[in-house]
Amino acid sequence: MGTISLEHGDRLYWLGRYTERVFTTLKSLERLYDKLIDRDPKHYIKYLECFGLSDDFGSPEKFLQSFIFGRENCYSAAYSLERAYDNGIVLREEISTEALAYLQLAMDRLEKADASKSGLVVSLLPVEDTIFSFWGCIYDYVYDEEIKNIILCGKAVERLELCVRLKYNGELINREFERLCRNLSKIPKNTPYRYNTEQLSVLVEIIESENCCKGRENQVLTALGKLFDPVDGKGRKTA
Amino acid sequence: MKKLQFSFSTKLTFDDYVHDHSFALRFTPVESPAQHITAFGAEISPFASTRNTVDAFGNTVTSGFLQKEHRFLDFEINGIAEIDISKPKTDFMPCYRYQTHFTKPDVALSEFHRFSAEKCSCSDPYGKAMFYSEKISEQIRYEKGVTTIKTTAAEAFGLKAGVCQDYAHILLSMLRMDGIPCRYAAGLACCDGETHGWVEVWDGEKWVGIDPANDRPANEDYLILSQGRDFGDCAIDRGVMFGAYTKQLQLISSKLEEIA
Amino acid sequence: MTIADTAVCRSRPVTPVADAGEINELLRRYGVKFGIYKNGQFKEQLFPFDPIPRIIPAEDFKGIEKGLIQRVDALNRFLYDIYHEKNIINDGIVPENFVYISSGYLPQCEGITPPNKIYSHISGIDLVQGKGKEWYILEDNLRIPSGASYPLIARELTRAASPAAFSGNDIIDNRNYAKLLKETMDFANRGGINAILTPGRYNAAYFEHSYLAELTGAALVQNDELFVEDNVLYQKTYSGGKTKIGALYRRISDEYLDPLTFEPTSLIGIPNLMEAYRSGNVAIINALGNGVADDKGIYYFVPKMIKYYLGEEPILKNAPTYLPFYNEDREYVLKNLEKLVIKDVAEAGGYGVVFGRDLDEKALEDFRQTIIREPRRFIAQEVIDFLDLPILENGGEVMRKADLRAFVLSGEKTKVWASGLTRFSRNPDSFVVNSSQGGGFKDTWVLSR
Repeated sequence: MGTISLEHGDRLYWLGRYTERVFTTLKSLERLYDKLIDRDPKHYIKYLECFGLSDDFGSPEKFLQSFIFGRENCYSAAYSLERAYDNGIVLREEISTEALAYLQLAMDRLEKADASKSGLVVSLLPVEDTIFSFWGCIYDYVYDEEIKNIILCGKAVERLELCVRLKYNGELINREFERLCRNLSKIPKNTPYRYNTEQLSVLVEIIESENCCKGRENQVLTALGKLFDPVDGKGRKTA
Repeated sequence: MKKLQFSFSTKLTFDDYVHDHSFALRFTPVESPAQHITAFGAEISPFASTRNTVDAFGNTVTSGFLQKEHRFLDFEINGIAEIDISKPKTDFMPCYRYQTHFTKPDVALSEFHRFSAEKCSCSDPYGKAMFYSEKISEQIRYEKGVTTIKTTAAEAFGLKAGVCQDYAHILLSMLRMDGIPCRYAAGLACCDGETHGWVEVWDGEKWVGIDPANDRPANEDYLILSQGRDFGDCAIDRGVMFGAYTKQLQLISSKLEEIA
Repeated sequence: MTIADTAVCRSRPVTPVADAGEINELLRRYGVKFGIYKNGQFKEQLFPFDPIPRIIPAEDFKGIEKGLIQRVDALNRFLYDIYHEKNIINDGIVPENFVYISSGYLPQCEGITPPNKIYSHISGIDLVQGKGKEWYILEDNLRIPSGASYPLIARELTRAASPAAFSGNDIIDNRNYAKLLKETMDFANRGGINAILTPGRYNAAYFEHSYLAELTGAALVQNDELFVEDNVLYQKTYSGGKTKIGALYRRISDEYLDPLTFEPTSLIGIPNLMEAYRSGNVAIINALGNGVADDKGIYYFVPKMIKYYLGEEPILKNAPTYLPFYNEDREYVLKNLEKLVIKDVAEAGGYGVVFGRDLDEKALEDFRQTIIREPRRFIAQEVIDFLDLPILENGGEVMRKADLRAFVLSGEKTKVWASGLTRFSRNPDSFVVNSSQGGGFKDTWVLSR
């Protein structure tokens, strides 16, 4: 290949981020749903707090409806999936028609899940299967390692960010951080899609400390957000 | 025959940095039997690698690309031309017979043409052109700032005011309504500190110049930089650039004088 | 040309290839959509697919193929002539003002010779079949004809959904389109990569642009990643370098292609592309200025062009056409307006088409006056009694008007793609089949025997 445009670099990164956001959002909401079944019905307010939001929903049902299927809610799985598709549709040559079709299929299946009478977890299973198939396509059909790695960097950044935001335990966060570092180490030198080393140092310092990121979540989130910011202050656009 | 020394420069300044700046300049005088260039120099600053091609109308196009950030673009030409209008120019194109975006008449301009044509006692293209030029001068007031480079003949005629470009477009429109081929000439004229625009009429065998803004024949005091169906084909400089600039300022100066 | 109603055609049962719902579901999944703007909002719509294929027997196709090659070759000769010697005008075959008043004629292209003198590399020729099975040419599209991707992906999916329909049925595989397109681009290429220029994902045909890029291995590009330096067209690459583009299959209209030569306010063009093109450093597919040859007014003259340039009798007929510009034709048109179809030469996409029979007496009279005032603006045609095709609707078959857009590719040789886009009208009373007006499409099977 060798002729990715600058614009596509960003698109690939955000394709990885949004697709991962769909998946992790679904998984975390399924766990939350389980808690909502028989324990604290106000559990979801904690989830909202992780994103700095207050309860405008009033009921767990309305909350779940909005965070899974609400296209207007920018924290929802449906919203993220549309953004993933938006990025994917201009990357057909890089990721293949096959992979793109799985994103379309995931959107269709999410709509079906919304109308389904089955339990939430069961009705969302086909969506998750489809996302796994999408990743299968990326691993199998994208020959260019650099392209593949940009997508995977986006995926790893997103996974880590959500783990930190949702206050997952330190062990898990460390594992996801290691995964991110492995992807970062594969980025060739002298390529415009370099990570920002200053931000990486901040992450290493905090995440590898004894308390992991406890109490310093905001610093980690800021550093993660800036990890792929352009170093020279121009050139790349932000999504 | 007259020997003219000419110079022309424009300074384009932006209020912020611009980059990826593509430009196309039509600033090399047209070489023709009536206009022979004996010396020519051109300079562009900041330095840009350029290439020359010749467009469909016979103009030399100097194109370039400045990728790096810059805040100005200056270019300058100078040289010596021998002008001899007794030598016929015969580079005809059929498209010169047809109206363009700039010259397409509206009802008012068509009416004015019909009225003028009825009054005209000449049947030859040049005679008609001279007569129409006189009629246009009676109708249109020379005034700067009323029209822009986008104004069409019909719009300028409606405003009853304009500059050389508008006079030329109105005359082109009227001649084409008679089916007479004619073209726009852009360049330098004596005693004019900027660029000038006028008309050439096809008399059946060759091109003859006429300057409707001054209502007189275009004689050997005129230097043609570019020619085409209308102003749109002749723009001396055109450019596209990127950046956060909000304003651009263009300063033009030109000089044309007879030398021994 | 009258193409015989062959036994092959009759003996073959015309049945749906697959369940319409299943195929349309697959098409949706594979993103086979076109974008439209409705009330200022961008929406993507499925292009409805009808599972009953149009079948063209081998004998029929041979005739169509020969006729199309002849026509496109003559049109390419015409374009070269118009932008150079203009012999066809000087010899009085085509009146001068039909050429120069045409909005598709671009004087800026005078004297430019595209690689191999090919102007129309990808021609979309619209045909209809009359009740007597004879084919008529309705329209030539030599600028940016779209639609090849739809039957292409539909075939891929219908073969997967109902392999039995294809097994042993002697249907020519149409999936060679990408190969034909790539050969065409490679032949025109002036050194460098092939690229497909799209206005972006909100363009109606974006699916096609990206799908063809993927299949041909061409880079899918937008103007903001391209620039012209030293009269060479480059793509900015990810690593900060530049890659030379040798052939640009552009899916943007002429007037927006270079803001320094054409429409100065164009935001989707490439400044100085015209200089790179004139210098012979990049092939533009299709060439600029082709609009002069697919103008509805020039259409009338295509059979004359075939005789003039090739010395051959036209194999395919035009629909009977009258030019109000000629006195004799004008009289006929004014007298018979109520039975004719009138087309505004400046309009496209099914707009500006008026059927005389739909007008009342006053509207007819107004229209007559318009024609008298602006004779050059219109052409008039006899309404062809179309051969209707069966369409599946609510489980039953109904008959609808349909046309066929055939794709002719001009590279080292002129070739006709053994398939095409069959579009049909979903409205029983309508003759207009354009996708922008709610029509659907069918696969087109060309048989090998």
